[in-house]
Amino acid sequence: MKKIAYFDSSHDMPEEIIMAAGFVPYKIFGDVHKSNAPADQYLQAFFCPAARSFLTEALTRSAEWEGIIVAQGCNATNRHYDVWKRHVSTPFLHWFNGPIKDDAMALRFMKTELWRLIDTLNRQFRVSITDDMIAAAIRESNEVKKRLQRVSALRSEKDITNREYLTVLIKSMTLPKKDAVAAIDELIHKAEKGGPIPKNNIKVLLTGSDVTYPELMDQIDEAGFRVVRDDLSVGERYYTTLIPEDGNPVDALARYYLSVPRPATKVGMRKRIEYLEGALADSGLDTVISQNIKFCEPFAYDSVMVNGELKERGIRLLHIEREFTPGPDNQLMNRLAAFSEML
Amino acid sequence: MNQQTTAPASLEAPQIRIDTLPHAKSLKWPMVWYLLVGQLYSMLPWKKTAWTCAGFPVELLWGFDIFPLHPENMATVAAAQKQSQRLIEHAEGMGYSRDLCSYCKTNLGAVDTNIKTTLGGIAKPDIITCTNTICDTHWKWFQIQAEKLKVPIFIFDCPKIVSGTDERTIEGYINYMVEQFYDFFEFVKKHTGKELNIDRLNRACEESERMSVLWREIYEYRKCVPSPYSSAETSASFFPLVVLPGKKVGIKFFEKIKGDIRKRAESGRGTLSGGAKERYRLLFEGIPFWYKMRFMYDLAKYSAVVTYEPYTFSFAPPKPVGKDYTETLREVARIMMDLPYSYNLEKRIQYFEQAVKDFKIDGVILHENLSCRPSSTGMIDLKNAIQEDLGVPVLILQCDMNDPRAYSEAQMKTRIESFIEVMEKNRKG
Repeated sequence: MKKIAYFDSSHDMPEEIIMAAGFVPYKIFGDVHKSNAPADQYLQAFFCPAARSFLTEALTRSAEWEGIIVAQGCNATNRHYDVWKRHVSTPFLHWFNGPIKDDAMALRFMKTELWRLIDTLNRQFRVSITDDMIAAAIRESNEVKKRLQRVSALRSEKDITNREYLTVLIKSMTLPKKDAVAAIDELIHKAEKGGPIPKNNIKVLLTGSDVTYPELMDQIDEAGFRVVRDDLSVGERYYTTLIPEDGNPVDALARYYLSVPRPATKVGMRKRIEYLEGALADSGLDTVISQNIKFCEPFAYDSVMVNGELKERGIRLLHIEREFTPGPDNQLMNRLAAFSEML
Repeated sequence: MNQQTTAPASLEAPQIRIDTLPHAKSLKWPMVWYLLVGQLYSMLPWKKTAWTCAGFPVELLWGFDIFPLHPENMATVAAAQKQSQRLIEHAEGMGYSRDLCSYCKTNLGAVDTNIKTTLGGIAKPDIITCTNTICDTHWKWFQIQAEKLKVPIFIFDCPKIVSGTDERTIEGYINYMVEQFYDFFEFVKKHTGKELNIDRLNRACEESERMSVLWREIYEYRKCVPSPYSSAETSASFFPLVVLPGKKVGIKFFEKIKGDIRKRAESGRGTLSGGAKERYRLLFEGIPFWYKMRFMYDLAKYSAVVTYEPYTFSFAPPKPVGKDYTETLREVARIMMDLPYSYNLEKRIQYFEQAVKDFKIDGVILHENLSCRPSSTGMIDLKNAIQEDLGVPVLILQCDMNDPRAYSEAQMKTRIESFIEVMEKNRKG
């Protein structure tokens, strides 16, 4: 099946519209194992290394995609768009300008942007996206989200490694949805039959920049931490809310994307803190690992106040600024180990 | 590239200086006016103040009789007063990353240490308003301060006019912006009790346009060879345009310096002392190094003059004048989304190439600002386009606008001298 790729710094891209148009939505994750040299011809080294890796992937793999959509998120999305337009070879590049606010005006604007996307896809690919097609895509998307919710419930008790959790999420955003469902079902089946979380593991909530490669999750595992809650876009933000299946499907999508847990790229730090507090209270957790990838400004700005408030409430918290590398990061491991010992 | 074996004569002329305008020191009064009136508005209970950021139409605040306080501008004051480094380090001590905006950290440090206004401090406002037009930092920073200071905040969500955006889409964006204006008016009324006075808004727009026209006329004179005015002075003298658009005190200052500039242009005099010849005309892009304003003056040693800066020019866009209320709001919305400082790459390249031609530029310096990733994005493409399309050399200088730790005197000198040699060689062809 043909793919349309998207550059999304959070969970801002309404992939259901891509599905309704008959394509597989493919979230660009970059490749931490490959050099960013292709992107570094156009983007300086003090820009987000993940965003540079996304551009590298687009420069080297865009021929595999029917087109690319860039969704408004952090400044990397809206500023790098122009660089992508100049250098990435693709027959279709679209800018999807979702709002950063979530009030009534933002909702109306979100609908306008959704209709603009539908109209553009219709014209570009000579399709005719109907409400029924979008509704079907929403149902399919919800099937994935419901299963991921099951995975999330299981990971609080069962032995689902940090890598397994992230891997199944990446599959959910890159594979055809039916293949994603199969992969999630396989993990659920394995977990249900498997043992509990190893006793010496410390259960934590993970927050901050998105983790886009499993090696980082391995390191958190190796340090003795098991992530059982999070507020990441490649995480709970993607599945914790279901898309309404009643009413007009475009309205439903608009409401859904404005109601997912707020990332640092959107107005609403207070709501982000409330989500974290709720997640910690619901799961009885008192330990948080907060991290931001180097040069990730939105999460770096948030971290001081968000983490400060959590600490004031007695939460044990470690904040780390990390690199973008698959290799063993000894500095990171030392800090995780010290945090573990402290606990 | 061939190696230059002998330095051009300009490298050996350190005695050349910048001749400042006779009325250059008149800038002091608008600055004092701004600080004093700002303090008065902060003290009197029936007067109201707002923090705002670059890219926000200050005229709107004048329309409410709300005094705009500019944390960014006060951060530059802190840098000029050699305070920014300690304030930035203070903010880093609070947990803010070294990679974050130095304006933001200067302001966080200034508020947390409660320093004097004359050193870059700033009063607590009644409301905070900002946009995401230029960067995420503006609203992230103001959101943090609104939480800390417990002050209500309004953030304008400005859609992005990326390369290739069609007019129909832009009209849709404007609709969204206009809706937010009405919401903003309600916000202001709720938190300050003030209502928009349309006549006052129109007067502010008219006076603001008067000031912008003066600035644009000054830039027309800068096209002369030699240029009668350089960035050594504009970097300070554009201050009224940023913080006092629509205020007579700023207009009077601009009228005075424009008179000086006209006389200079008519007599064929440039900015270099002793009648020295202006050998290299430069375009400087980006925010200046506020803690090292000597950089702009020291270029004179090489007979180099910065004759155009898109940054200082960008604060003088045409203002909506003589339009009805609805049209005014739509025009303001368009200006907010399409500022020269945040032009998309396609438009930015066109704009720069035209400026290089109009101002007869020999070389372009692009400030790759560690504090401003948005403005640094696309800079490599911009450099390549100017060099390839126009054959004009471009130097990318990595530094920081407010953090002196990023500035190395020796490295800067080496790079500038190398660039002078490149321009010399380019001239000889």
